[in-house]
Amino acid sequence: MAQTRQIAIYGKGGIGKSTTTQNLTAGLVERGNKVMVVGCDPKADSTRLLLGGLAQKTVLDTLRDIGEDIELTDILKEGYKGTRCVESGGPEPGVGCAGRGIITAINQLERLGAYTDDLDYVFYDVLGDVVCGGFAMPIREGKAKEIYIVASGEMMALYAANNISKGIARYAKKGGVRLGGIICNSRKVDREFDLVNAFATELGTQLIHFVPRDNEVQRAEIRRKTVIEHDPQAAQADVYRELAKKIEENENFVIPKPLTQDRLEEILLEFGLMDL
Amino acid sequence: MTLENQTSAVKKKEKHDEAIVHSHYACTVGAAYSVAAIKGAVPIANCGPGCMYKQFFFLSFDNGFQGTAGVSGGNIPSANVGENDIVFGGSKKLDDLIKASIGVVKGDLFVVLTGCSGELVGDDVGSVVRKYQQNGYPVVYADTGGFKGSNLDGHELVVNAIIDQFVGSYNGPKEAGLVNLWLETPYFNQNWRGDYLEMVRILRASGFKVNVLFGPESGGVSEWKNIPKADFNLLISAWNGLKIVKHLEKKYKQRYLHVPILPIGEEATTAFIRQVVEFAGIDKTKSEKFIREESKIYYYFLEHFSNFFSEYWYGLPAKFATVTNSTDNLALTKFLSDQIGLIPVKQIITDNPPDDVRDKLRTIYSNLGEDISLDVEFHEDGYKVEDSLKKTDFGNGVPLILASSWESDVARELKALLIEVGTPSTETLIINRSFIGYRGALSLIERIYSQAVGGK
Repeated sequence: MAQTRQIAIYGKGGIGKSTTTQNLTAGLVERGNKVMVVGCDPKADSTRLLLGGLAQKTVLDTLRDIGEDIELTDILKEGYKGTRCVESGGPEPGVGCAGRGIITAINQLERLGAYTDDLDYVFYDVLGDVVCGGFAMPIREGKAKEIYIVASGEMMALYAANNISKGIARYAKKGGVRLGGIICNSRKVDREFDLVNAFATELGTQLIHFVPRDNEVQRAEIRRKTVIEHDPQAAQADVYRELAKKIEENENFVIPKPLTQDRLEEILLEFGLMDL
Repeated sequence: MTLENQTSAVKKKEKHDEAIVHSHYACTVGAAYSVAAIKGAVPIANCGPGCMYKQFFFLSFDNGFQGTAGVSGGNIPSANVGENDIVFGGSKKLDDLIKASIGVVKGDLFVVLTGCSGELVGDDVGSVVRKYQQNGYPVVYADTGGFKGSNLDGHELVVNAIIDQFVGSYNGPKEAGLVNLWLETPYFNQNWRGDYLEMVRILRASGFKVNVLFGPESGGVSEWKNIPKADFNLLISAWNGLKIVKHLEKKYKQRYLHVPILPIGEEATTAFIRQVVEFAGIDKTKSEKFIREESKIYYYFLEHFSNFFSEYWYGLPAKFATVTNSTDNLALTKFLSDQIGLIPVKQIITDNPPDDVRDKLRTIYSNLGEDISLDVEFHEDGYKVEDSLKKTDFGNGVPLILASSWESDVARELKALLIEVGTPSTETLIINRSFIGYRGALSLIERIYSQAVGGK
C-alpha cells in the first residue's frame, strides 16, 4: 500500500485555505482516495463543507470537557463520502496559547490512532502565518512532508506566502518537508496569473493551479457543501477536479528560496500592481 | 553625559555563561521566598507544580535548612499549572486559587507570582488581581517568569510590585532618623535572619528608628506601609536591591545610601556606622558611645582569639578562595584579607550581576584595602568554578574555600577546608547565624577556625 501523503496548507488569513482544501478533498475522494482533514485553526471551520455544518466538537473542547480519557469517535467525524474530519480547536480569542493547542491536539490524534494505514491523504489546514512553533507542528519531523501555499495576486497574500516560505526553508533544512507549489485562489487582480506564476518561479517552485473566482463556490458554501457535492456539473467543480489531479500527480517538491523584501516589491512593480 | 557614561555606552556586552551546571541561584519565581520573609505575607504561586518545589529546596531547605513558618515552606498555595491552563489560559483557575487562599489562609498580604508558563501564554494576571484590589483585599501580583533571570531579579520585581500595589502613594512628611533597611536578599543570603538582627541592633543603638521589612524583628506589613515616611533608604548589598531604592527615590522622592560591602568586624562596622550617621545628619553622641562599647567587647574577644592564633601554628589555612554571591563574596574577602590577614587567591562571583555592576565590583576588588588589590572572576557555570579552583595556587598550606555544597567535590580533591556560605548548603543548619557587624565577625572566626582545628 502506498504511504499516506500528509499535506499542510498554509496561506494568508482569509485567502481561502479551508475552501480550497475541502473542495480539493472532494476532488481527491472522487478519484477514490481516503482522506482525513485536520483543521488547525481555533475558529474550527475547516471541515464545515465536508460535514454539512459545524457539527464537530473540537479536540481541545473535548479534552477540556471530558479530560484525557477520550475515544477517537469523540473527536473524529465522517463527512462527505467517508472523509474523516477533525478540528483541533483552541482557546477563546485573546487567552491561552493557540499554538500549544495545535501541538496538544495533534499529539492526541497520534495517541488515539487517527493516522491509520488506509489513509491516502491527510490535510492540515493551518491558520494564517507560521507565527510560532505551534503553527509549525504539522510540518515537523514525521508529519506533513508536502506543503502548498494558497495565495492570490494581492500584495499582502504574496508577502505572507513569502514569509511562510521562510518557515518552510527553516524546517526543510532539518527534515524532509518540501514546498509542492502555490495554489492561486484568484481575486481577479490584473495580470494575476502572470504575477503569481513569476513569484512561484522566483521562489523556485510552481504555480500548480489557478483557481478562477466563481460565485458557484459561495453558493455551495451557503449550503454547507463543496462545489463538487453541490453541483457536480458546474465548471468550477472541474477546476477542483483538475487541482486534485495535479496534486495527485505532482512530483515537483522543492526547498523554497524566499525573496528579499526589495525583490518582492520589484516583482509587484514589474507586473504593475503598484499602479493599482 | 559624563565621561564614565560615555565609556560604558560604547563598551561591548560582557560574555555570560550560556549552558551551565550547578547553578548558584534560583529562578525569578523564587522571589516567593522574599514574600515568605515578610511577616504575615502569603505567596501564591501561579506556576507549574515543579517550579515552586524547586525554589523551596534551593532557597530554603538545601540552603541551611532554614525552615519557614506558616504558608511558605513546601505548602505555598499553587495554581499547579498544567497543559489545559496553557492552551486555554489560566485566569479562571488563578481566580479560584486566590479566592480560596484568602478564605483559608490567614494573611495580611497575598502576592501572586506568575512563572514561565503564564507569562509566555500572556495570561492577564493583572486583571484577575485588580478585581480583588478594587474590593479592598490586600492582593498584589508580580510578573516573575523564570526566563527573566534569577531570584535576585525576582526579589526586586516583587518588592517593587508590593510598593506600587500595596504601599501606594504618599505625600505626607518624612520622619527624621527613620530609615528603611534593605539588607540582603532573604533566604538566598542564608544568614539573612541573623544579619538582620545584628544590623537592626547596630542601627537602633546608633540612634536610628528602623523600618524592619524582613525577618524576626519586623512588624510585618505595617512597617511596609511606613516605607514612604522614612527619611532615607539604606541598601547594604553589592547590587541586589538597587532597583528598589531607585524606584523609591523616584516614587517618594526618598534619598538612599548604598553601601556595597556588608560590614564585618570592628573596623568596617565602625566606619559603616559613621558613614550612615553622617549621611543621615543625626547627632553623633549615641553612635560614638555605642562604637566605644562595642569595640571594647570586640577586642576583648579578639585578644583571646589572638592567643590561639599565635600559638596554634600547625595546619591553619593561609590562602583562601571565595565562591559565592557578590554581597557575601565582597564582605568575606574584605574581612578575611584586611582583618585576619589571610591571603585571597581566588574570588569567584556566582550571582551573574549586570554588566555595569561587574565593572563597579572590579573597581572595588582592585582597591579592597591597604595593599590589597584583587582580580575577581564571574562564573555562573559550576564547571568553570571547579576548573578555576583546580588551577589556583594555594601554596603549601591547607586551602580554605568559602563556597557552597557544589564545591564539595573539588574541595575534597584539593584537601581543602570547605565552609558553606551560599546556596546550596546541605551540610549546614542555620537558625540564627550572623557573620556581620561586631558580634557576627566573632562567629565567623569561630566557624572558620573550628573547622581548621578539626581538620576538615
